[in-house]
Amino acid sequence: MKKALLLTVIAVLTVMTLFILSRSLEGFDVVGKDSARAFDELIQKVPQLVYEDKETDSWSIIAPDGGARFSWRWEHTVADNDVALEIDAAPFMAAGLDASKLPKAIALRGGKLTLGSKIVPHGSAGRTKSTPLSAYECIVNLNKNAIGYHAALDHYGISIGDGFLFEWAKSIDTNDKDMVFVLNPEPFVNAGVAPDKINGWTFAKVTVDDENGRPVQVDKILKPFNLN
Amino acid sequence: MTVTIPIGGMHCAACSARVEKAIGKLNGVLSASVNIATEKATVAFDPAVIRLSAIKDTIVGVGFVPLDAAKETAGADKIRREREIKSLRAKFVTATVFGLPLLYIAMSPMIPWVTLPLPKALSMMRFPLTYGLVQLILTIPIVAVGYKFYTVGFKNLLMRSPNMDSLIAVGTSAAVLYSVYNLFRVAVWHDFKAAESFYFETAGVIIALILLGKTLEAISKGRTGEAIKKLMGLAPKTAVVVDNGEEREIPVDDVMPGDVVVVRPGAKIPVDGTVTEGQSSVDESMLTGESLPVDKKPGDAVYGATINANGLLRFRAEKVGADTALAHIIKLVEDAQGSKAPIAKLADIVSGYFVPIVCLIALVTAVAWFAAISAGIAAPTPGKSALEFSLTVFISVLVIACPCALGLATPTAIMVGTGKGAENGILIKGGEALETAHKIQTIVFDKTGTITEGKPEVTDIISVSGVDKEHLLMMTASAERGSEHPLGRAIVLGAQSRGHSLLSADKFTAITGMGIEAVVNNTAVLAGNRKLMDDRRVSLAELEPDSDKLMSEGKTPMYVAFDGKAAGIVAVADVLKKSSKNAIERLHKMGIEVAMITGDNKKTAAAIAKQVGIDRVLAEVLPQDKSAEVKKLQEGGRKVAMVGDGINDAPALAQADVGIAIGSGTDVAMESADIVLMRSDLSDVPTAINLSKRTISNIKQNLFWAFGYNVLGIPIAAGALHLFGGPLLNPVFAAAAMSLSSVSVLTNALRLKRFKS
Repeated sequence: MKKALLLTVIAVLTVMTLFILSRSLEGFDVVGKDSARAFDELIQKVPQLVYEDKETDSWSIIAPDGGARFSWRWEHTVADNDVALEIDAAPFMAAGLDASKLPKAIALRGGKLTLGSKIVPHGSAGRTKSTPLSAYECIVNLNKNAIGYHAALDHYGISIGDGFLFEWAKSIDTNDKDMVFVLNPEPFVNAGVAPDKINGWTFAKVTVDDENGRPVQVDKILKPFNLN
Repeated sequence: MTVTIPIGGMHCAACSARVEKAIGKLNGVLSASVNIATEKATVAFDPAVIRLSAIKDTIVGVGFVPLDAAKETAGADKIRREREIKSLRAKFVTATVFGLPLLYIAMSPMIPWVTLPLPKALSMMRFPLTYGLVQLILTIPIVAVGYKFYTVGFKNLLMRSPNMDSLIAVGTSAAVLYSVYNLFRVAVWHDFKAAESFYFETAGVIIALILLGKTLEAISKGRTGEAIKKLMGLAPKTAVVVDNGEEREIPVDDVMPGDVVVVRPGAKIPVDGTVTEGQSSVDESMLTGESLPVDKKPGDAVYGATINANGLLRFRAEKVGADTALAHIIKLVEDAQGSKAPIAKLADIVSGYFVPIVCLIALVTAVAWFAAISAGIAAPTPGKSALEFSLTVFISVLVIACPCALGLATPTAIMVGTGKGAENGILIKGGEALETAHKIQTIVFDKTGTITEGKPEVTDIISVSGVDKEHLLMMTASAERGSEHPLGRAIVLGAQSRGHSLLSADKFTAITGMGIEAVVNNTAVLAGNRKLMDDRRVSLAELEPDSDKLMSEGKTPMYVAFDGKAAGIVAVADVLKKSSKNAIERLHKMGIEVAMITGDNKKTAAAIAKQVGIDRVLAEVLPQDKSAEVKKLQEGGRKVAMVGDGINDAPALAQADVGIAIGSGTDVAMESADIVLMRSDLSDVPTAINLSKRTISNIKQNLFWAFGYNVLGIPIAAGALHLFGGPLLNPVFAAAAMSLSSVSVLTNALRLKRFKS
């Protein structure tokens, strides 16, 4: 019995040690590391679509059709959102959007729908070297769980919260969806949007991993781009 | 020369088959039988051709350890088994402690209908390297505790004689190596989808489950041998001997033949001997099963391990150590437990070829699936590649097909069955006897001492005119003084009890199967059966009416002639055993024909047969013709058992398909018979047959399940259900099923322990 107890303690300690090590050792975060490489590949592929917004201390990448923008901050000492999506409201309006019915997290400003998320704990870091990649790496380092690997599409993605994502291909050369703006259809459907009638967007079922890593099929509104 | 060699390191039927094959091939080895349940080899060899050391070297050569038989005493065996169980349990606990979190981590993303909380740091897709590394690190201790599967399994594989360990070693190694390769893909090539193809938990859980099966198997094996342990535990450790007039307590092993041993009331008699002083009752139930204590007085034999009830006894030690009755019984039961029933042969043959065939099936099936999926002919399960699907099939087939259950099916049932028999005073000398006993169609009972008590008494004295009855008895008894025949002794005792002083006899001759002749007081006395009188042309006309009457009453008339003329009849009758009628009824209910064989005349024999309900009477059979009578019955196509009480029945006991010696427990009886009944109770005969039936039925059930399990399990593991749109068997479930099959066979064998006589 004593032996069993001792072995249990050893097993638990082993697992805990590995958790701690994995969290502290960068080398273990292969997804984080490789997502940065792929993100850099994306930025290098479309430098004309990437720009710095000094007002918000952030970088942005615009969809090739201009219909959406993903931005990520390099300054995290303030309370503002660290990542954000901005999308043209017009196609949604045309598909039946009643903006008054949108949740508070999604705002309609100047013909744009915006939403964002504070994914890095407030005040947890100061300014970082101001390049698009270093800003991204800073976010990954401060909140490893903010990013993920989407096995079904071979994409990396950064969560903007509540099912909204910005995704990019792990390998631009081989993937036919190199940059994807992913929206959760639920708030829009609740606000009167017919999700299959949004011009420039695709309504589809997508296999994603749930919070326990299990593959589940969910509805998404997508704007994918092949950059090759 | 026949030796029993305990062997260490055997894990399955394939191991025992290999050892048996290797020894059997040796020049000079006459026969070899290896029992996986007792882990012993029984080898008959010619010492002039081959040495024992060469046989042991051969065992080492095929990868096993011959143990020192001398050191393998009951205590040592028990300690070895306990150590094995302890070690297996520790390994199983270690494997479980690391295996459960491993299974949890690996399976939580796979179970769609239950949400199992898992730390984010172990998210399969976000932290695939950590997810894999944690599993690898949890797998390492499990593989470490199961290292023997690998050392033994791969060694055997390299020697081209794979066994159960080889299947586990190859199956789990494939799982671990493929997982490590996928971990490499994640870590170096950043191929994160490879995280979906970790099979660490498959290897870990398979090893844990097999260790569980082995632990339960070891515990169950220990329980199957409990009967022999009980017998061994009966012997006292010390004895009180008289040394130079003083009583001294010494270890029982130091008692020598000739020592005078003192046994106080309540104490166990340490060795076999003959009472020299004192009177007491002795409880011999542990040897004979007889519940009533037996009175002992000077001149009576006492046996080691029996209990002196109420008086102080002194006796002279005669048989010590391995020569005692208890040691003989233990040896007999051990030999029986180590022997193989013919029914085991099929299982042995199958087991010997099973593992290589399974390896082939696993390989062929995996390659076939890979080819079919790659060619688009078949589809894998969702999310699996052709390689992963094939690998799953490969591992499942290897793991599910371990022939442990097949190997255990027969010996465990025989161990429990013979052990249970020994507990009931029924010593079954081998698997063959056990198997044949259930097929018996006719049982031939010897009459005197078997159906009857074997203690005949004088009941009637008939004399011709002019001859005094008491004189007739005195003269006959005087002539019979030299006779060892029970009837002769009965007449001597009868005369003595009537107060006659017997005269000395000259020219005594025993005429086998007929009677005796001697000269008493210048009178030629002839005493015997009708054949003897006819042979000597003695007219019995005057005695016919009386002899007919006596015979119709089941009494044996002993005709007596003085100087060639009939003088009268001394009638002797034996008392029927209380159990005879009931036992014969039970045999009839079992559909067995019952015959009685006797040297008695037909009328007496028929009368006795009628009293107990016997179907067939073989009367006036000379002792030397008894075996011929048994043979005649066999020639009629019947399986025949002969029940007798020892020496004069020995040829018939040997001739019968099953020889059953009853009551005596003497060396001759024990050696000549296949089954020895320690009590003089005929009801043990149907009990023995019933036990045989139950044991064989148990073996058949075990073999059915063991064969059936493999016949069903292998195709399912090979993906037969998937062909028809069903699921593919997970290797973890294959391991669980494999372990359960062994445990179920053992549990079924242990049901025999509930057998009641």
